[in-house]
Amino acid sequence: MKKTMTKAAKTEAIFTVLTLTVILVSFVLVTGCQKKAATRPEATVPPSAKEQPASEQKQKGPEKITEQKVEAIASKDMAASSVEGKEGMFEDILFDYDRYDVKEGYRAELKAVSAWMTKNSSASISIEGHCDDRGTNEYNLALGDRRAKSVKDYLVSLGVPSSRIETISYGEEKPLCTEQGEECWAKNRRAHFVILMKAGK
Amino acid sequence: MMNAGKGQRTKCIIVMFLLFTIHYSLFTVGAEAKIYIDITAPSSKKLPIAIYDLQGPSGKEISDIIRDDLTFTGLFQCIDKVSYIEGPVQPFNPQNWTPLGIEAVVKGTVSGEKTITATIKLYDTLEIAPILSKQYQGEKDLMRQFAHTIANDIYQALTGAPGMFRTRIAFVAEHEGEKSIYLMDWDGERVRKLGLKGALVLTPHWKPDGSQLVYSSERGRQWGLYLLDFLKMTEKKVFSSKGTNMAGDFFPQGDKVIFSSSKEGTPDLFVLSLKDQTLKKLTATYGIEVSPSVSPDGNMIAFVSDRGGSPQIYLMRSDGSDVRRLTFEGAYNTSPSWSPKGDRIVFSCRRGKNQICTVKPDGDELLQLTEQGNNEDPSFSPDGRYITFSSDRDRSKGVYIMRANGEAQERVSPKGLRSTGPRWSPN
Repeated sequence: MKKTMTKAAKTEAIFTVLTLTVILVSFVLVTGCQKKAATRPEATVPPSAKEQPASEQKQKGPEKITEQKVEAIASKDMAASSVEGKEGMFEDILFDYDRYDVKEGYRAELKAVSAWMTKNSSASISIEGHCDDRGTNEYNLALGDRRAKSVKDYLVSLGVPSSRIETISYGEEKPLCTEQGEECWAKNRRAHFVILMKAGK
Repeated sequence: MMNAGKGQRTKCIIVMFLLFTIHYSLFTVGAEAKIYIDITAPSSKKLPIAIYDLQGPSGKEISDIIRDDLTFTGLFQCIDKVSYIEGPVQPFNPQNWTPLGIEAVVKGTVSGEKTITATIKLYDTLEIAPILSKQYQGEKDLMRQFAHTIANDIYQALTGAPGMFRTRIAFVAEHEGEKSIYLMDWDGERVRKLGLKGALVLTPHWKPDGSQLVYSSERGRQWGLYLLDFLKMTEKKVFSSKGTNMAGDFFPQGDKVIFSSSKEGTPDLFVLSLKDQTLKKLTATYGIEVSPSVSPDGNMIAFVSDRGGSPQIYLMRSDGSDVRRLTFEGAYNTSPSWSPKGDRIVFSCRRGKNQICTVKPDGDELLQLTEQGNNEDPSFSPDGRYITFSSDRDRSKGVYIMRANGEAQERVSPKGLRSTGPRWSPN
């Protein structure tokens, strides 16, 4: 019984509030409209004197335009590698488009590289992975990396210690051939051998 | 019973008071934040706006920049001066404008030689009082930023959203055989070379507060991760190892960077803490994982993987769990980047040549936005309304911008400068 009473009272209260709100809102709206109606006809007289300051104008002085100074910075670790490379001793290993598996045809050449590495037991090599320029830069860099790694894995499987083989990718950034066309692209999709020697030797 | 009734009345009064307050504040807020253009609507009508040349020295130059800014958005139609009835110094009168169908008018003055001061008034042609009235002051050599700041305020007053006219684009360019990081305004003006270089430099990525860039550079047969700090103007190496290290993206707090590294064999994704240099490995596959992009809330990573046989975009949680493939159309989808709201991902999609596509994170609504040449390395502007990317459509590679729906594609980087890897600044 008590509960229903309260419910009824609540409903009544909400009703009152709603009515009041509606009255209030309409009052505000009406006054708002009246104000507008009052200013409208005056618009034809020179309005400059009537200009009300916009809210922003109440602020303190002008906005100052500034900018963080950007200067050229010198890169610190530009020192060249302490290791120099000798190139051209072995032929490049070429890859199919968007692939990084070493093709059967290169077995003999990789055996020769492995034999040379066994004979020159103090030598280490770097395998550079490259791509043609049709892919996107970053993916090509990863693809070049993967190509270099495939050749390294092949050499390791032939018995060359992993520690004597470095890999690095240059993606599409160092093309051998800059023409557009399959003949040229094929030359660029390569793993390239560099024999590493300590500088000064 | 009596007590209960009293409580009821008090409650009633409180509720009434609250309702009144809410109504009142709603009413006033509604009145102040009138939206003239709904920028969320897909193809709303362009708002006709009259922008006077500011009265005074360099007034025309400033107004030209404001007009260019507003026109690029595709939301405004700048009405030619010849049709203005009202003289520039005559007081603003709505009746001079409404018959022409012009809905907003910008008037103002500028003075000063070395330091310039401008007063700007923006009118809604249905009201006599300006909806924006503001003074600006700055050095003359910052005139472009000066004009962009005014354009931002006009844009905000009419759309309710902040303008992006003071943002910049970081990119990589090649000069005399050496690559460096460059910075330019979003409209291609004020190109500055930062001097940071390497034989090779990859796309820089902004820290979310705009104070740093992370990028990869190859120096002396090693790929390192470098951090450029704009406040200290320093460059710092944060990671290097054997193999290939490719940045990567910041997490929202700016304390961690995700990147791809082949230090353990094949390119996998790692998270590097910039605080304590700890590394966490997120993926481990035999193939390629590269180009990670962190969602704006930091919970998701979009990245490229060839685990399905061709490069495709995948999504996973930032702890490496719940990996799912996002792209299925085409055999080559790379370089994903999130929109600032996290509601779309832009990427490079192969359709014959490389094009720019966007898709929702659930894989729906795949859109192709470009058609000419090869287009790569896309990223959104901080308001999500524009996209920057690199393209070779004019033969030499350059940085382009367009609206997020593919409209208004335009080259912004200088003609002679081979430019790639653009990234829009967050602020």
